[in-house]
Amino acid sequence: MIKITNLEKFYRTEEVETIALNKLSMEVNTGEFVAIMGPSGCGKSTLLNILGMLDDPDNGSYVFNGVEIAHFNERKRADLRKHNIGFVFQSFNLIDELTVFENVELPLIYTGVSSADRVKRVEEVLDKMQIMHRRNHYPQQLSGGQQQRVAIARAVVNKPKLILADEPTGNLDSSNGNDVMELLTDLNEQGTTIIMVTHSEHDARYSHRIIRLLDGQTVMENIMV
Amino acid sequence: MFKNYLKITWRNLLKNKGFTAINIAGLAVGMASAALILFWVQNEVSYDQFHTNKDRLYQMYNRSVFDGKMWCWGTTPKIMRSSLKQDYPQIEQVARTTRANFLFTLGEKHLVLAGNHTDPDFLTMFSFPLVKGNPKTALNEMKNIVLTEKTAKKLFGDEDPMGKTIKIDSVDYFTVTAVMKDLPNNTQFDFEYLMPWTYMEKVDKQVEKNWGNNSVQTWALLKPDITEAAANTQVKNITRSHSEIKDIDVFMHPATKWRLYSKFENGKIVGGRIETIRLFSIIAVFILLIACINFMNLSTARSEKRAKEVGIRKVVGASKGSLITQFLGESIMIAFLAGILALLIVQVSLSGFNNLTDKQLFIPYSNPVFWIISVSFILFTGVLSGSYPALYLSSFIPVKVLKGTFRAANAALSPRKVLVVTQFTFAIVLIISTIVVREQLEYAQNRDTGYKKNNLVYSFMSGNVEKNYKLIRNELLTSGAATSVSKTSAPMTEGWSDTWDFSWTGKQEGAKIDFNVYNTDGSFTQTMGLKIVEGRDIDAVKYPSDSLAIMLNQASVKIMGFKDPIGQIVKNGDTKMTVVGVVKDFILQSPYEPVKPMVIQGPKAWFNVIHYKLNEKNTTAQNLKLAEGVFKNFNSEYPFDYHFVDDEYAKKFKDEQRTGTLATLFAGLTIFISCLGLFGLATYMAQNRIKEIGVRKVLGASVIGVSSMLSKDFLKLVAIAFLIATPLAWYGMHTWLQGYTYRVPISIWVFITAAVVTIMISIITVSFQAIKAALANPVKSLRSE
Repeated sequence: MIKITNLEKFYRTEEVETIALNKLSMEVNTGEFVAIMGPSGCGKSTLLNILGMLDDPDNGSYVFNGVEIAHFNERKRADLRKHNIGFVFQSFNLIDELTVFENVELPLIYTGVSSADRVKRVEEVLDKMQIMHRRNHYPQQLSGGQQQRVAIARAVVNKPKLILADEPTGNLDSSNGNDVMELLTDLNEQGTTIIMVTHSEHDARYSHRIIRLLDGQTVMENIMV
Repeated sequence: MFKNYLKITWRNLLKNKGFTAINIAGLAVGMASAALILFWVQNEVSYDQFHTNKDRLYQMYNRSVFDGKMWCWGTTPKIMRSSLKQDYPQIEQVARTTRANFLFTLGEKHLVLAGNHTDPDFLTMFSFPLVKGNPKTALNEMKNIVLTEKTAKKLFGDEDPMGKTIKIDSVDYFTVTAVMKDLPNNTQFDFEYLMPWTYMEKVDKQVEKNWGNNSVQTWALLKPDITEAAANTQVKNITRSHSEIKDIDVFMHPATKWRLYSKFENGKIVGGRIETIRLFSIIAVFILLIACINFMNLSTARSEKRAKEVGIRKVVGASKGSLITQFLGESIMIAFLAGILALLIVQVSLSGFNNLTDKQLFIPYSNPVFWIISVSFILFTGVLSGSYPALYLSSFIPVKVLKGTFRAANAALSPRKVLVVTQFTFAIVLIISTIVVREQLEYAQNRDTGYKKNNLVYSFMSGNVEKNYKLIRNELLTSGAATSVSKTSAPMTEGWSDTWDFSWTGKQEGAKIDFNVYNTDGSFTQTMGLKIVEGRDIDAVKYPSDSLAIMLNQASVKIMGFKDPIGQIVKNGDTKMTVVGVVKDFILQSPYEPVKPMVIQGPKAWFNVIHYKLNEKNTTAQNLKLAEGVFKNFNSEYPFDYHFVDDEYAKKFKDEQRTGTLATLFAGLTIFISCLGLFGLATYMAQNRIKEIGVRKVLGASVIGVSSMLSKDFLKLVAIAFLIATPLAWYGMHTWLQGYTYRVPISIWVFITAAVVTIMISIITVSFQAIKAALANPVKSLRSE
C-alpha cells in the first residue's frame, strides 16, 4: 500500500537546518498494523504527516496505492486524503462548536455524501464506538476516553483504507488507553491498515511490526509474533 | 454543507458575544452612515432628472467679460423668449419664470403666497403632472392660476378648487384652471402656484423690450434631433443681433447639469455641487471601509482560536476553497445581521439627518430596487470584510496548528497594523477637517459686517405700504416702535441689483466694472449703523437736490480712482448723479468674499423694502406689536411680515454650518468605529499575551509598567497614522479654503488639537483592557496555560 524511498525532509530556520527525515525508506502492506517508535525529535510525527499527505517531502519518492504522490499539489493530496485516510490525534482535535454527531459527520460532508446517508453512517459508527448516547453532546462535556472514541469514529466514518494514529493514548489513562487500542485492533482485523506513532511499548505490542527511528532514519524493525 | 457552516457560524457568534457585538455594531454603524450619505447623494444626483424631456431641456445663459474676467449667469432679458420662439426653428418650446408674491384672499382668508409667473409652455416642457386641468390650456388666459395640491388645500380645504375664484392683491380675480401634484423634493423649482406671464406685464404696465435688463430665467426645449452644440452655435449671437449690446454670448445650460455642474470659470463649467457629492461619496466609502477593516482585524486577531478548527477541517478533507466559502459565508451572515441593524439605525436617525441636510429623504421600502441594492450592498460589505480573513484563515497549515506550534504572525508590518493605521489616518483627517471647517465658520462669523445688525428689522413693501410709506414711517417713529426708518431697494443682507453701466471721469475706455446697486430714501447710515468716512448721508428733506445724490462705498472709491470723491459726477446712461458721501465697506452678500464696489442711489430710484431700527427702550415684543399696529393700520389686508437682519445674516452660514455639523458627525462616527475595533484588538492582544504578562509580573513588573507596555504598541500605530494624516488633511483643507477669499489660516494648533484628541481617545480605549490584563493574578494565568 505504501512505499517510500529515500524520503528527506528538512526544517529550516534562519540559522539552523534540521534534518527531520534522512533518506528514509520503508514499506507498509495493506492490512498491516505498524507502530513507529523513537525518542522525541526522531522524525516520527514528520513521517506520519507526510504519510498522511498533510505535509510534503523535500526529496524522495512516496508511492501510495501504486501512485507516486510526492509531487502532488495540495488540492490533489487533499482529495486523495479525504477518500483514503483517517486520522486519530493525541489531543483528539474535535471541533468544540460541533456536537459529537456533527464532528463525526464532518468528513462525510466534505466527501459529498447525501444527508440521509450521512445520518445512517454516523449512527452506525457511533453505535459501534458505543457513544451513541452522547451524540448530541459537545466535546467539552465528554471524558478524554469518550472524546477519543469520537475522534476514532470520525476517522473511520468514511471507511478509509488507512488510519494514521499519532499517540492515540497519550492523553488517556491506562484503562481508556486499552479500550482505544482494542478499537484500533478491531478495525485492523476488519481490514484497515493502521500506522501508529507511539511512545508506549505497551501500545506498540498491539501492532504487527515496530519501526524504530533515530535522527530521521530507520534503526531497527521488530516483527511481533 | 451550507447547514453545517450556518450552524458553526451561529454557535461561534453566540460563543463570542463581545466580539459579535463589536463586529455587528461597528459594521452596522458604518453601513448606516454610508447608507445615509448614499441616500443624500442619490437625492442630489436625481435633481430635475425626472423630466421626461430632460435631455432636451436647457436654461439660457449669458457669458461676458467684466474687469478682465469671464462671467456666466443664468438670468436673461424678458424679451429673449419671443425672439427664441420666432427666429429659432430648432427650439420647440420656451418658457420664462420669475418670482411672484401676492396676497391671496378667499373670504376671510388672507395669505401671502410665493409662486412663479410663467409662460403656458412651462406645463408641457417640464414633467410636473397636473392632478386636474389641461396642461395645454391651463395658463392661456391672463387670469388663470395653477395651484399645487398643498396650496389648493391651504385655500380650499377639501373642496374641489377647479373653476373657483381667488382674489389676488385685492384687485384681480383669478380662476383656478388646474391643480398640480406637489413638487417633488428633488427639483430646483419652488413655487406654490403658477400664474401667466401676461399678468405680470399687466401689473408692470409694460411689455419690456430691453435687452440689457437680465432679470428672469428662460427655459428652452430643443427639438428631438438638435444637439446642444448645434443649438449653441445658433443662439450665441441672439443678444448681439437684437440690440446694441455687442459683448454678450448666449449659451444653453443642459438640464442634466443644472444641479451638479453650475460653477463656471472663464466661461467653462468647472464643477459645482458635484464636488461636495464626490467628497461625501468618498467619506461614505471610507466609513464603510473602516467598518470592514474592523471586521478584518478582529477576525484575524481571533485566528489562533479558529486555527484548530481550520486544521481539523483540512485533515478530514476540507479544501481551501470550501474553507474560504465557509468564512465568507460567516462574514456575509454577520453583514446581514449588521444590515438589519443598520436599517433600524437609518430609520431612527433619518429625521435628524433630514433636518441637518434640509432634505426630505425617506427609505423606499416598497421599491424592489431598494431591496436589490440593499442586499447587494450587504453582500458587498460581507465579501469585502470577509475576504482577507477568509484567505488568511484558510491558508493555515494543519500540521502546524494541530501540533500547537502555531503562533499568529507578529511581524513588523503585519496587515493588521496596516489596517489600524489606515483607519486612524482617515479618522484623524476627518478630525482635522472638522476643526478647520469650524474655525473658518467662526472666522467668517466674527468678521465685522460694517453695520449694526441687532434690533434691525425689515418688511417688504406689499399692498398699500408704498403708497402710505410716509405715514407709516412717521407712525413707526412717533409710536416709539423705531428710532430710525429707511426705505431701500433690497434687504440689507441681499444684493438684488448690479450694473456695469456707470461711467465717471477717469474711467478707462471700454472698462466693464460691475457695481452693486442699492437704493435708499435717506436715514440710511443712521438706520443701519453705518460709518460715514467722508461727506454725509443722502437727505432729500434737507437737500432737495439729493433725489439724484449717491453714496459710494470705499471699494467703489478705490476702483473709480477718486482722490476726492465728494462732488464727483457718476453717470448711469444719461442720468447724472452726484457723490455726497462715502460709507465704510459693509457686507451685503457673501461674508467670505471681499466687499464689492457699491453705488447707493438716492430717493429717485426704486424701492422694495422698509428697514427700521427698533427702539432700544422697549422690549422687542413691544416694538413688534407697535409696528404691527402701524402696518395693519395702513395695509390692513396683508399679514404683518417682518425679518430680523441678524437672523437673515446668520443664514449666510447655513451651508458651512451644515458642512461643519456633517463633518463633526462623520468624524465622530469614524472615531467610534475605529475605537470599537481598537478595543476589540486590545482585548485579544491582552488574552494572547496573558502568559507573557504573568511571567513579567512574576519577575517583578508593575501594573503601570505592564499596562503601558501593552498600550504602547497601539499608540505607536496611532502616531504613524497621525504622520500620514497630517499632510493629507492639510492639503485637503488648504484646497477647500481656496474657495473662500476671506479665509482662516491653518494653524499648527489644529494639528496639535487633533493629535491630543486622538491620542486621548486611543489611550482610554486601549488602557481599559491593558490595565485589566495587568491587574490579573499571574498565578492564575500561568496555571491556565
